[in-house]
Order: sequence, then C-alpha cells, then structure tokens
Amino acid sequence: MASFILRKAEPRDVSDIMRLIKELAKFEEMEEKVVLTEKDLLEDGFGDHPFYHCLVAEVPKLQGSEGYTVIGFAMYYFTYDPWIGKLLYLEDFYVMQEFRGLGIGSKILKVLSEKAVKTRCSGMHFIVAENNTKSIEFYKRRGAADLSSEEGWRLFEIEKDDLLKMTAK
Amino acid sequence: MEYKLRKAEPRDVSDILRLVKELAKYEEMEDQVTLTEKELLEDGFGDTPFYHCIIAELQGKNSSDDGKVVGFVMYYFTYDPWVGKQLYLEEFYVMDEYRGMGIGSGLLRHLSDLAMNTRCTGMMFVVAENNEPSIQFYKLRGAEDLSQEEGWRLFRFSKNSLVKMGTPVEE
Repeated sequence: MASFILRKAEPRDVSDIMRLIKELAKFEEMEEKVVLTEKDLLEDGFGDHPFYHCLVAEVPKLQGSEGYTVIGFAMYYFTYDPWIGKLLYLEDFYVMQEFRGLGIGSKILKVLSEKAVKTRCSGMHFIVAENNTKSIEFYKRRGAADLSSEEGWRLFEIEKDDLLKMTAK
Repeated sequence: MEYKLRKAEPRDVSDILRLVKELAKYEEMEDQVTLTEKELLEDGFGDTPFYHCIIAELQGKNSSDDGKVVGFVMYYFTYDPWVGKQLYLEEFYVMDEYRGMGIGSGLLRHLSDLAMNTRCTGMMFVVAENNEPSIQFYKLRGAEDLSQEEGWRLFRFSKNSLVKMGTPVEE
C-alpha cells in the first residue's frame, strides 16, 4: 500500500507540474496545445500575485515511477459569483495512472473542499468533458450537479486574435 | 447622451448590487441573489480583490441623469494550464433603456484592451443556451462556443456537498 502526502506546491515543483499538465493533455489527445512554459508557471504561480494555486501529491522516493516523486496535482484559483460571492474553481486535477485507486484523488478533493469552506467559498466549480463518464461519475457520487444540463450554461471563448480586433485602434 | 467607462470604486457597491439584481430579475432569479453590499465591499476592495468591475456612467451637463450608473462588467483572472492567464467575464449588463448606444461594445472593447495589457491569451465566459441575442452579440465578435465544439460541461459542488466531503467538525 503506497503512502503519500499532499502539500502546497513550491517553486521547485514547477517542472513536475509542467510534466503532469502535459501528461493530462496527452490523455485528452491535446498535448501540442500546451504552450505554457516552466518560466510562465513560476512567474504566474509564485510571484507577488499568484494567478493559480497547486496542491501536489508526493510518494516516497522508492515508490516513485521512473524517479518521480510528485505523482498527482490539483490546480485551482478563486472566482466570484455575483449572486453568492467567492467560489473555488478547480482547473486541473490529475493523478498518474499507476497511482490511481489508492484514494489520492479523493483525498485531494477533500483537502480542496476544506480549503473552500475555510476561505468562505459558497461552492466549487469546474468543467468536465461530456464524454469523460468516469470523471463525471466520480464527481456526481460526491454530490456534484451538472449545471450545463440543469441550467443550460455553455462555455464560450474569445481568442487573442479576436480580442486584438476589438481593441481600440 | 454621452457616457464614460471607469474602474469601480468602493462607493459603487450599491449600484453594482442594484445592477446584479436587475440582471438576475431579467433571468427570473432575483431571489437567488444573497450577496450583500458589505460582502461586495470586502471581496472587491480589500487586500485581495476577488473580482474587478468597470462601470458605465452617464455624462450629461445639464441632465438629472448625470453620473447615473447604467451598466457594468464584472471580471477576474483565471488560469488555463495550457496557455496561461485568461480574463474571465463574469457579468455583463447594460440597463434596458440605455442599450443601442454602444455602451456594451465599449465595455467589451475596454476589456479586450485590459486582457491584452495584462498578457491574457483569451477571454472566457458562459452564456445561457437560450440567450440568442447575447450568443449572436458574442459570435459576431469572434466568440466560439466551446461547449458545442469541445463538449465542456460546467459542474458545481454546493457548500453542503463541500462540507460533506471535508473533515467532520469536532464536536
């Protein structure tokens, strides 16, 4: 039975975070879309104003896969709902395949839930791909509601090129 | 009727709440707004702002409407692990009687400038699937429906679910 710890990410973790982001993107067949660099992650997460926070899951060195000891992570930040106030937004959530089924994912979600309640958030939001039934079940078992289904919300994006077109000349 | 756009200040929280409630009323959800002016003040103008607002204010030299707050956007910064910082447009509303004057376009342009200045790679927001006028407004400006194109669905854990998942409180 593998033992593991969860802790706040530190600047030295950015290469592991980058590796796990790419692994998750690869699983979604989108690896080439990851243009973020370790430098960006460092500036954006550990500067004066962090734009994201990470929890990392670590196993003792001997158990690590190919020498890695960081084997899972969650990336989150705070958002704001004008009806109810602060929310915790779960952006990325991934545990390496060989370390699943050990309760690491559940523990991460538990720690995030405590964080949300402690910082007086009214809820936790996140998006899931509609064909990712395993994840949908994981979340629904824990009480998550599908707002796209129940309230008809659709996620939109305006990309940089189109933003530039709209900027004042 | 002229208008100007400016960053919201602490004194604007009552107008912000008024407009939030007006928009909620339009969506037939007014009773779901439990946020108070006090929370808006603490959360937006404390040490760590959790949101930012741009206000649209009327300007008319001799008009009784001068200084009236008639529209706003509420936004904050999010993070996409593939591309980095994004600007997230949370709320966007112009009072009915002041539409068609370019205030909405002006607000969106202002946000686009802001996104570019803060090195964001894009702007994201959700729209109700039955809100045709808004969907058209955004699509005209290049917005893509990621729910449609990439199948993303928005989920929520309510506070009750969070408490259930957390460590039980000691008696």
